[in-house]
Amino acid sequence: MSLPSARGIGGDVLRGVTPGSERPQRKTRRGDGLAAAGFLAPSGIGFLLFVLTPTVGVVLLSFFDWNLLSPPSFVGGANYLQLFKDHHLLAVFGSTTYMAVAILAINIVIGLLLAVLLEVRMPRWIRGFFRLSFLFPFVVSSSAVALIWRFLLDKDFGLVNYWLSFLGIQHINWLGTTQWAPVAIILVNSWKTLGFSILIYIAGLQGIPNEVREAAIVDGANAWTRFWRITFPLLSPTVFFLLVINTINAFQVFAEPRVLTQGGPGDSSRTIVEYIYDTAFQGFEIGYASTVGLTLVLLLVILTLIQFRLSRRWTFYE
Amino acid sequence: MTAIRNPAARVRSHRGTDLLLRVLTFLVLGLAAIAIVAPFLWIFRGAISPTDAELYRLPPTLPSAPAVGNFGKVFAQVPFAQFALNSIIVATSITLLQLITASTAGYAFARLNFRGKNVAFTIVIGGLMIPLQVTIVPLFLIMTNLGLTNTLWALILPPIFSAFGIFLMRQHFLSLPRELEEAARIDGAGHLRMFFQVMLPLSGPALATLAILTFTYWWNDLFVPLVMISSVNQETLPVGLVLLAGRYGTGSLGTIAAGITMAIIPVLIVFILAQRWIVQSIASSGLKI
Repeated sequence: MSLPSARGIGGDVLRGVTPGSERPQRKTRRGDGLAAAGFLAPSGIGFLLFVLTPTVGVVLLSFFDWNLLSPPSFVGGANYLQLFKDHHLLAVFGSTTYMAVAILAINIVIGLLLAVLLEVRMPRWIRGFFRLSFLFPFVVSSSAVALIWRFLLDKDFGLVNYWLSFLGIQHINWLGTTQWAPVAIILVNSWKTLGFSILIYIAGLQGIPNEVREAAIVDGANAWTRFWRITFPLLSPTVFFLLVINTINAFQVFAEPRVLTQGGPGDSSRTIVEYIYDTAFQGFEIGYASTVGLTLVLLLVILTLIQFRLSRRWTFYE
Repeated sequence: MTAIRNPAARVRSHRGTDLLLRVLTFLVLGLAAIAIVAPFLWIFRGAISPTDAELYRLPPTLPSAPAVGNFGKVFAQVPFAQFALNSIIVATSITLLQLITASTAGYAFARLNFRGKNVAFTIVIGGLMIPLQVTIVPLFLIMTNLGLTNTLWALILPPIFSAFGIFLMRQHFLSLPRELEEAARIDGAGHLRMFFQVMLPLSGPALATLAILTFTYWWNDLFVPLVMISSVNQETLPVGLVLLAGRYGTGSLGTIAAGITMAIIPVLIVFILAQRWIVQSIASSGLKI
């Protein structure tokens, strides 16, 4: 039996991204252009009004100083220079990256572990119970989740510290110290987002044909070998999908710090999106908030490009 | 690949480790399930606790006399039913709109040939990387100029273009067999009939997947309503819960717990009923990049 990973690694991920590369281009029939315009119109209108215009707006605003009340004044590149002088920004990028990387790792690794463990032979109702409990937080709003955890993480009356006290760990100040506040955000956000990752993993695992796995069992491969030689290569497009989506989401965390810590203490649990929100709608520095927003876009573009580039080495497309 | 010389011996040597692995597996699964379920149970318990003192009692036990007073207090403090209605309107409208915009555009990118297709598609992919959180200030200004801030329109309109949705639907339409299209064309089907009568009927799982992901995302969103809405009656549930806990809270934790419970229970019921179907839809839509 030849393992799919052997011939598959290096499968071109961009294959699906370059239109028309899958099959020889058909000769354009008359009428396609007009029909395409019609089919693209609904999205096109939305794009023009609510993506392109605001994006141009953000770029323009980044050259202005404006507090929403008095007329905006052109300041050239001053906002961009401000980026380098703003020590809050550096701290915010630091905390955001710290929390995003941890959230991403928990989602990708623990999500995969739990989804794979769910495949173990067990009675139907037990599997159903586990699956339901793992997936459920996916449909609960982040603000409800954050409010629940605000109770649970309370320093004196919280259930978490109560149970930890049995392990000899006393009174962790989860929300009030620079050391623990980001950890609290990581735990609470992962606790919710894990549901989505497990859901996508379960769906991906269902797409792996049983014959392939049974063949490996007959061949005498143990669980560890089967996972790395069969399951993981066949699941790699799913892992890649989650990596890209979870990265974009992890850098946009907002509700948890908003409800739990207001970004503090200091900037220890402040995310870029929260910083943008505070700068624009509490500090009324519209121009500078836009400039900060553009740095987030730049960061996401760079991260996504790196992920696509690296993915060619480890993803396998049938 | 490898010839197994003595299968029976191999199985026997594995039995000990297999048992250990199974125990470990169930231990991990069980702990994870408890860690996820327990906070919900705790908040449900808080909702029916008659006093805050009882809510915070450690170790947590069932309330001595379950009370429903907290639920009434929620409605007395905030327009909770209005929040729920707003959330339903917003999430449903966005979902329906995206199903239309994403499926039509996805079809054009997958099945039609037109000039500028590659450029247009690259722009769509670029749109994936411009989050709403970044463009929120100009969006707010656009909505102000249209006179739509403080209305649900300000929440419904911004997400009608969905790069992710277009991408998902395009991948799906690319996976449908070409013969199907050719057979329909020989029968004289035009673009509209091709789309509505040939392609869409085969798109159930992909459309369902998009609907599920879109609905849950916007049902849960806190950011956009926080910016666009300032009048209490136009808020959605996620902001409503924060209002209940913060500005309007009388300090009663039981009331907050009751609010959270009421926001969760309907979703929980729908989710239990639809869970199997949700997983299957996503599985057969072949979510990939």
